Amino acid sequence: MAEGRHNPLLELRDIRKTYRTRRSLFGSGGREVVALNSVSLEIYHGEIFGLVGESGSGKTTVGRLIVRLEDPEQGSIRLEGVEVTKLRGKALRDFRRKVQMIFQDPYQSLNPQLSVFDTVSEPLTVHRIGNSSQREEQVRKALTAAGLSPPEDYVFRYPHQLSGGQRQRVAIARAMVLKPSFIVADEPTSMLDASISAQIFNILIEMREKLDATLLFITHSLAAARYLCDRIAVIYKGNLMEIGSADEIIQNPIHPYTRALLDALPRFGDCGEMKYYGTLLGREREYVEPSACPFFPRCRPADETKCSRDKPLLKEIFPSHFVACFEPDLKQAEGSGGDTCFYGT
Amino acid sequence: MLLEVENLSVGYQTKKGFLKAVEEVSFTLEKGKSLGLVGESGCGKTTIGMALMGLLPPNGAVTGGRVMFEGHDLLKMSERELRGIRWRKIAMIFQAAMNALNPVHRVDDQIAEAILTHNPQISKEEAVKQVEELFELVGIPKTRMRDYPHQYSGGMKQRAIIAMALACRPKLIIADEPTTALDVIVQHQILQETKNLQKEFNISIIFISHDISIVADVCHHIGIMYAGQLVEYGRREEVFNNPMHYYTKALLSSYPTLSREKKQLLPIPGDAPNLVEPPPGCRFCDRCSASGATCKTGPPEWVEITPTHRALCDRCLEDCGERKHKS
Amino acid sequence: MELATKKIVLRYHWVFRIREGWGIFHQSLLGKIGLVLLLLFALMALCSYIPPRLDPMYDPMTGVDPKISHSTGPSMRHWLGTDFMGRDILSQLLAGARIAFMVGVSAAFMSIFLGTAIGMIAGYVGRIMDTLLMRLADMIMVMPTLLVVLILSSLFGQLNIWTIVLIIALFRWPGVSRVIRSQTLSLKQRPFIEAARVAGASHLRIIFRHIMPNVLPLSFLYMTFRVTSAIIIEAALAFLGFGDPGTVSWGMMLQWVWKTGHMFKAPYWLLPPGICISLITLSFYMLGRAMDEVLDPRLRREQEAG
Repeated sequence: MAEGRHNPLLELRDIRKTYRTRRSLFGSGGREVVALNSVSLEIYHGEIFGLVGESGSGKTTVGRLIVRLEDPEQGSIRLEGVEVTKLRGKALRDFRRKVQMIFQDPYQSLNPQLSVFDTVSEPLTVHRIGNSSQREEQVRKALTAAGLSPPEDYVFRYPHQLSGGQRQRVAIARAMVLKPSFIVADEPTSMLDASISAQIFNILIEMREKLDATLLFITHSLAAARYLCDRIAVIYKGNLMEIGSADEIIQNPIHPYTRALLDALPRFGDCGEMKYYGTLLGREREYVEPSACPFFPRCRPADETKCSRDKPLLKEIFPSHFVACFEPDLKQAEGSGGDTCFYGT
Repeated sequence: MLLEVENLSVGYQTKKGFLKAVEEVSFTLEKGKSLGLVGESGCGKTTIGMALMGLLPPNGAVTGGRVMFEGHDLLKMSERELRGIRWRKIAMIFQAAMNALNPVHRVDDQIAEAILTHNPQISKEEAVKQVEELFELVGIPKTRMRDYPHQYSGGMKQRAIIAMALACRPKLIIADEPTTALDVIVQHQILQETKNLQKEFNISIIFISHDISIVADVCHHIGIMYAGQLVEYGRREEVFNNPMHYYTKALLSSYPTLSREKKQLLPIPGDAPNLVEPPPGCRFCDRCSASGATCKTGPPEWVEITPTHRALCDRCLEDCGERKHKS
Repeated sequence: MELATKKIVLRYHWVFRIREGWGIFHQSLLGKIGLVLLLLFALMALCSYIPPRLDPMYDPMTGVDPKISHSTGPSMRHWLGTDFMGRDILSQLLAGARIAFMVGVSAAFMSIFLGTAIGMIAGYVGRIMDTLLMRLADMIMVMPTLLVVLILSSLFGQLNIWTIVLIIALFRWPGVSRVIRSQTLSLKQRPFIEAARVAGASHLRIIFRHIMPNVLPLSFLYMTFRVTSAIIIEAALAFLGFGDPGTVSWGMMLQWVWKTGHMFKAPYWLLPPGICISLITLSFYMLGRAMDEVLDPRLRREQEAG
């Protein structure tokens, strides 16, 4: 994706977002929880960018901020150079045409009272695009592209008449019907059967080609991110830990947390000598200063003095490969990861 | 042999007709071994677990077969006899079991309570001591024992549930999607611990999941299910290294590898057949890349590849050689 | 696909849903009893137009039997007897059914309309709007409707029946709005609402297209219960002498029985309106309970799918 290197399509700069926990009846609570801590990202035109993390890492928050479901406390989000967080009125409507989202749970993201046709055509109606026969044509095209063909079999069905995979494809059709230039896909397969995930992945890849769109793919699985993405960022407790090209992150992971995530990937088949890094601490360190590296409590190779005091910043360790670690271990684990060893997504 | 399931068939009475959820499923499980049952949702894998426990919903019924557990047929037992076996000899970890903890009681009390209900002869102190041991086993720190469920993370709740399942030292545990909704790292830890516990106590486990990758590491045997039938069964290595049924092959090719060369994933086209009126022939033939004219007409026969490895596919031996080159 | 086909299929969908709902409704004995009773009352209301056409003396309000000037028991000429000035009780009873339906349904419809709209606005807009509207609802909810209407009518003299309907509606929305508000709050969290926002839908569109269809079944359920309470309030008002003197409602009939001192002398006059009031409220209640069951499995099925 070198051609757009200098002007990213989407740029997040020093994003900070905190949530306040609800104050409980007896006065406790009301604490501030940091969801994102000065997160900066650049996503280039035409790439699929993977954001990988566990639940509570803030990965979904990034997606929600980008589509303006929420607003950051600090920092700026720019799409094609235009500040997104301040958009209002007509500008916001135009922005909504360009940025779409695919939600995690297809059982919750479709209105049970609307038919597939009504759901997919809604964005067109909202933005007053085309007349009714043109809209029908668009809906049909989007459904076909999302793998629901022939579309006539699906347009008049209601969500409860569809399987989970079909529902998610309806959601994808709804996201692509406006031909957006940027799409956020928030764990689109985590609620689906493993055997259906591959279909969704391939549809997303095709979608990028068809629409010339850029995707942010949010996932908990490095294997899924590797399959889909050009670049991957690993996020932990609201902090970016490692950013690099997908191949680089998988073949040459540097951050102990990335390595722990790779270790934990469920795998099967003929994996030969297993490749393990063993960077995860068996039992968490309990008392940690708030200024410490976020991964310090669980990090085996951590430096007790340095890592417990300061937070490391992202550093470019290899060209275009950034790692937030004071003393990155550059040695890679031995073992095969050949093409007979399969990974769960 | 701890468990022998022979030609088990289970159906549900539904509005649209009688749904044959499980048909003629047979497998065996030795003491201390584990079996992974894998298939997409609606293939009948959860129903098997429920049928083994005698916990089918009111509209479900076993329509045939035998389930021999330690030489007794579970299907012929009365509800009373079954209650004596459930938890004490066969424990089950349900889907989303984490929500099974009662939010208003402390976790250790709940587990002690479960122990006491099933072993009324032991004293309260003994039960509490057992809980302590169990928590040690599943890796919950002692300091957290007297917490309430909401103070636990998802992984810890799941550990507590495992502790509960282990409470009566059962011979068999049926674990239905035990790690859904857990994070990758926690899932990995729990699977590893389950593996260790299984070795330590010589428990047999049936893992039920839609995801091969989750059951693969912990299971000795793998059963692949499709549309209510077991379609391939064998030792783990046999099934993964030499998949015979075309469904298994298709399933494997929908998982990514992390090899240097990116491999294109090949999802399985189409949808599973309707089980109220299943097709007469092979149930997978509409989605199969190798189906021939004979597949549609008659039901497929079991083909034995090795004494421990079989597949429900007439054509699976035809192009073995060709397949080896491809992979 | 042709638009015409689309409309047919969509209509077919509603037919399907109604048939499905009817299937569940059909299994409920309570619901069937309620429905049969309501149909009987509806028949009565329709029949109320017949007697005055047969003979002006059967007019419930102005028709007086020239031969009778006091209350008499049932006879061939007056099947249920006559009141103190010789008016036919049966035709009054039939006219009362019409008034009961009119009062009940229109008051319920208005209060449900208000309650649904206010509940959705409070739940969707949230913050200050929510607080203001819900405090207003609380205030109205603690005011005893009957007492307020009594005070109003003593201030402004006899109230017109439509004024009474309006007042009932104005005082009976808070319960509905609370339920609709909490339903809206939970819907607002559902990702399909967020999906609509991301698609660019305006707030109005989200309310009307995404939230309303999902709360309307609940509103209709509450409507059946509101009908019951509206009929009772109107009857109580009329009985206490604050009804519309220009209409013949069952409460008015009871008031005439009482005022003319026939309470214990003329059971043929006292019982019919009393029984009718009890039965019509009971049947709306039973209908509501059955509808509750119809709506419930729909929610259950959604959960199963999840």
